[in-house]
Amino acid sequence: MSILNDICENLQKGKAKVVKELVQQAIDEGIDAKEILDQGLLAGMDIVGEKFKNNEVFVPEVLVAARAMNMGASLLKPLLSESGVESVGKVCIGTVKGDLHDIGKNLVKMMMEGKGIEVVDLGTDVDPETYVKTAMEQNCQIICCSALLTTTMPVMGEVVKEAEKAGIRDKVKIMVGGAPVTEAFCEQIGADKYTSDAASAADAAVAFCKGIA
Amino acid sequence: MTHRERFIKTLKCEPIGGQVPTFELVYFLTMEKFGKVHPSHRFYEQWNQMSYKERSLHMNEMAQLYIDTAKAYDHSAIFVHPNPAGVENTQWLLELIREKSGDEYYIMMHGDPTWAIPDGDSMMDFSMRMYEDPEGLNDESKKRLDDALEFARALDEKGHLHDGFTLCSDYCFNVNPFFSPDNFDEFIVPYLKEVIAEYRKMGYYTIKHTDGNIMPIVKQMADCKPDAIHSLDPQGGVSIPEVRKIIGNDICLVGNVNCGLLQTGTDEECRADVMRSLREGMATGRGYIFSTSNCVYTGLALDRYEMMMDIWRKYGSYDNYEQNFGSGAVK
Repeated sequence: MSILNDICENLQKGKAKVVKELVQQAIDEGIDAKEILDQGLLAGMDIVGEKFKNNEVFVPEVLVAARAMNMGASLLKPLLSESGVESVGKVCIGTVKGDLHDIGKNLVKMMMEGKGIEVVDLGTDVDPETYVKTAMEQNCQIICCSALLTTTMPVMGEVVKEAEKAGIRDKVKIMVGGAPVTEAFCEQIGADKYTSDAASAADAAVAFCKGIA
Repeated sequence: MTHRERFIKTLKCEPIGGQVPTFELVYFLTMEKFGKVHPSHRFYEQWNQMSYKERSLHMNEMAQLYIDTAKAYDHSAIFVHPNPAGVENTQWLLELIREKSGDEYYIMMHGDPTWAIPDGDSMMDFSMRMYEDPEGLNDESKKRLDDALEFARALDEKGHLHDGFTLCSDYCFNVNPFFSPDNFDEFIVPYLKEVIAEYRKMGYYTIKHTDGNIMPIVKQMADCKPDAIHSLDPQGGVSIPEVRKIIGNDICLVGNVNCGLLQTGTDEECRADVMRSLREGMATGRGYIFSTSNCVYTGLALDRYEMMMDIWRKYGSYDNYEQNFGSGAVK
């Protein structure tokens, strides 16, 4: 359907106003909201995410595409909830206690939203208890921890322990990332997944939410 | 030769023989090492309320701390972070350091007007401006450039006491630069090129710093003609031989000892990494300054930095390069 292709194409170019207009037009033409979401917006973000992973596009291009996605999605949201369409999954994300860096965390959040995941943003300087309490109260399937500093990385291990203490370790996946974080560190603290970039983090989160990882 | 002379020759990529120069952008572990709070960690809310005598005591003590740090580690350069800031206080600090240490050390300070990666809150707005208001963004870039040059001229008129500016706007994540190469050409290159050229006209050297994976833009950075590029971050996959392949041997390189590893690695891993940095950095026989891939930041283990410096003392001499790293290693 050409209008869905147009949404997909314009989203990749970050043309937020055009995307919003096209989404409204698609709604007016009676196209199902889920179809507009999947074949227009999410299809466009999938392509942007792949290009980002392949170094074909850079962060600003991802951000403007995400903004276009959000503007289009805002029109679909009420229609999707009316028809009982649920998000792909729900995660809570934050930068760990002692660390105020939020660039990477915000990128991951945007990429996950671009995959249709509902994201609870806990901000920066988040203590282990807050991650776990939020995951329990809001039924998050995944806790995502970010750190830029080698000195704050160990807090990620405390999040894992806190989840174990609260008895939810078998119900939530714990993902970790940030400049100094490595696969080996992820294994060492008993987290479930390390990813080196935001697009891969979003892919991994989708796989966890769909139960295929 | 003084440390300063060796450092400047190295910036010019001239062979110096002897020990490869070293310094750090910041050495934050002053409390642990010297029992003194680092100048950047001080909060001088009542600075202007202080008597001249009290301000002078603080300023002298900070100047001495910078010198003591350089002496303790045989650093060839001092990067001052004036606190409080401003032309007058900067000038005062520079005068004191020169008064106490003469021309022994190369002195540098911040001076980068180009855009860094925006923080998480402003990243979206900044990105939108790149696409929707490039003219406005470039107007702002020009204003930042003019302000930086005005500050440099003000210091220059007061006696040209420091040797260079270090341009510390970070452009890169570990995975990639924030700016695409095209964006970098449009929003960074014109201003980076001009600030470096103008500083050079005033007689100042420039070191361009950025963390992360610089490889997609390193040629563009080098074409702006800084005297050196810092920090060659291994966490961003940057390797000295690969950078050399792209930009050649006539631009000085600084750094490359993996900061993250110093914090999280084993002693053996750290030793191997320091040896690799020395071997690769010194391989051309000139144009390399030894340092961490960022700085000696708060929380870094002091003994790890001191271990790194012990290895530098033992193996960081050009005179013994072949003996330490194998014959034919020096090109």
